[in-house]
Amino acid sequence: MRLTQGFVGLIFVGLGLAPTMALAETTTQQELGQCMSCHAKPGLVKRLGKNEKVSLTLDLQAYRASAHSSLVCQDCHTRYSTKAHPVGSYTSREELAREHSGACTSCHSLDQLSALPVHEDVLKPGHPVACSSCHGAHEIQRVVGGGAMVKERAYCLSCHEQHIEMTFENGETKDIYVELRSLLASPHASLACSDCHVGFSRDHHPDRSFQDGRYYTLVLSESCKRCHFDKYTRTLDSMHYRVLMKGNANAPVCTDCHGSHGILPVGKDHSISAKRCMRCHETIYTTYTKSVHGKALLGEHNMDVPVCADCHKAHEIQDPRTLTFRDRIPEMCGNCHANKELMSRYGLSPAVVKTYLQDFHGVTLSLYKMQRELEGTSSANPIAVCSDCHGIHDIQKLSEQETGLVRQNLLKRCQACHPGATQRFPDAWLYHYEPSLEKAPLVYAVNLFYKIFIPFMVVGLLLQVFLHAWRYIVNR
Amino acid sequence: MTERKMAFVQRLSWVRIIEHWVNASVFILLVVTGLSQKFYTFELSQRLILFFGGIDSTRLIHRACGVLFAAVLVLHMTVAVVGVVLKRWQPTMLINKKDFFDAIDNLRYYFGLSDHPAACDRYDYKQKFEYWGVVMGGIVMVATGFVLWFPTVATYLLPGELVAVSKAIHTNEAMLAFLIISIWHIYNAVFSPEVFPLDTVIFTGKISRERMMHEHPLELARLEGKSLEELLQEKEGFSHASSPLKPPPND
Repeated sequence: MRLTQGFVGLIFVGLGLAPTMALAETTTQQELGQCMSCHAKPGLVKRLGKNEKVSLTLDLQAYRASAHSSLVCQDCHTRYSTKAHPVGSYTSREELAREHSGACTSCHSLDQLSALPVHEDVLKPGHPVACSSCHGAHEIQRVVGGGAMVKERAYCLSCHEQHIEMTFENGETKDIYVELRSLLASPHASLACSDCHVGFSRDHHPDRSFQDGRYYTLVLSESCKRCHFDKYTRTLDSMHYRVLMKGNANAPVCTDCHGSHGILPVGKDHSISAKRCMRCHETIYTTYTKSVHGKALLGEHNMDVPVCADCHKAHEIQDPRTLTFRDRIPEMCGNCHANKELMSRYGLSPAVVKTYLQDFHGVTLSLYKMQRELEGTSSANPIAVCSDCHGIHDIQKLSEQETGLVRQNLLKRCQACHPGATQRFPDAWLYHYEPSLEKAPLVYAVNLFYKIFIPFMVVGLLLQVFLHAWRYIVNR
Repeated sequence: MTERKMAFVQRLSWVRIIEHWVNASVFILLVVTGLSQKFYTFELSQRLILFFGGIDSTRLIHRACGVLFAAVLVLHMTVAVVGVVLKRWQPTMLINKKDFFDAIDNLRYYFGLSDHPAACDRYDYKQKFEYWGVVMGGIVMVATGFVLWFPTVATYLLPGELVAVSKAIHTNEAMLAFLIISIWHIYNAVFSPEVFPLDTVIFTGKISRERMMHEHPLELARLEGKSLEELLQEKEGFSHASSPLKPPPND
């Protein structure tokens, strides 16, 4: 955009440098013809300052198609005529363009221009933007109904690629600069500005007023649902939305996590996602970084371990203090810990969820869950789930701890629901081991006995039944 | 032939009839509420649990039935032991050597190796098998059931692993009891061609003299003060159709 701007500005200069022609009265065509005798030549270049160059060649065709085609060069380049052709001296393209903006206000009065909201910031005293930066110079088009710029984005960026400040009702300001590079790197690279900024176009730039910067963000994030409606509806069920509805404007909306112009595609690096949550949930994040999962994520760049969104979900984040959330914990952990292939990579047992679900607590939890889902009836009993013994964000590798410590923690957890539980009590639980000769041999023996005895008994009794019936039939 | 007019024999008292009713209802409820916990992932189980008002009330019903069953069991055993000790009762339910021979004799008879089924006394070996199954299985179920109900108390005295063992026993024994009752007892009391459509003795307390003759000839002989031989001779006179289990007529 800088380039366009500079180029446009220089054309002004180019015209100004046209050779002096002695003609008392000229028609448009005649004067043009005289200026163009030099400025139509390609490769006409002026040096500005130390490093910048500018082309002085005018595209006559574009000028003829412009809104100003009826004007003559001198109308704008007032210092230049067929008689006078002063040598301009500028240090940069920007300076050059800005100087020439003065010509515009001779026809388009400042009051008239200020009436348009789009000009509000641009026309502030000392603002560096030149008219030609947006409107072009010789190829200028009618703004309303005309093709002022070929692409909408280029049109918008001609202002918004500058650091323009927006002022809110509370006096807060916000830089409404758009970084083109990150926009082009985003999955939204092919969208037009007005796809998200609804109501804005080359023709319309509504003057909107927001109470503060946060409110502005909240309103703008509503645009996302135009395309991502599924995600939006999920957020309506989320904890964040509930908090927002209660009046906490700091509750995160789409753009808080995903960014706005520099939106990121769903990344392979899960730590980015975790760090988003950290912005608000710093304490929990710190705890997480010390856990077995957090250490692996940040220390080893391990992408198998869960990040916040794996358990809490990304959009339909639920209140983790509810029983409904509790119901889902074994399932959450089971997503990885019941996965044989995944667990074999770390030498962990994939039977942990199965053994839990076969135990008293697992059965009760599953049935409570079923009742809540089918009948909406709820038991207030908080049944022990994975996190009660293993921790939540601070989950540690068990081999790192003393076995005694595990027992001690377990006993404490047991006593929360089973007052009076003694040291022996936790052993009623087989610590996720499936009964075998090494672990819980008695249970293993009992199961084995019945595994043999039940079929033996059933087959024996069925034989008796058949023999009895057979004898009866034979006797008849 | 005054005996032949006596078509029915009073076999069971009303106490036993009530006892069976209670036991049967409690057993069915225990099986339904218990097995639906054992197989809790099945849809039928979940429907039953919802029918009982959720898992908490299902367990409440299960435990209440368990207590009732335990009470019936304890009462029965106390009365039986006291009755036998005071010699007011004959220990007819005790298993003796003859029962094993009766079982073998009956097997021989089923295979056609013998002409007669075993001649049994007041309770035959099948009934004794079921009776002791219920008593012994009942004791096991009650004991393990209480351990599971009060694990905290149980672990004051026992190692924790025994709670897990209790669960293994309780759940397996339940399955065994359910299978024995639904195969063996239901066949003998309902589907067996000798009693079909229903053996009514446990509900009326009365048994026909004819059935006594086939099933409990020793007891009948004792009741009527005859010898077994006299009784068997009398049996020859009965029509064949009414007693298909009697030996072939040409023998």
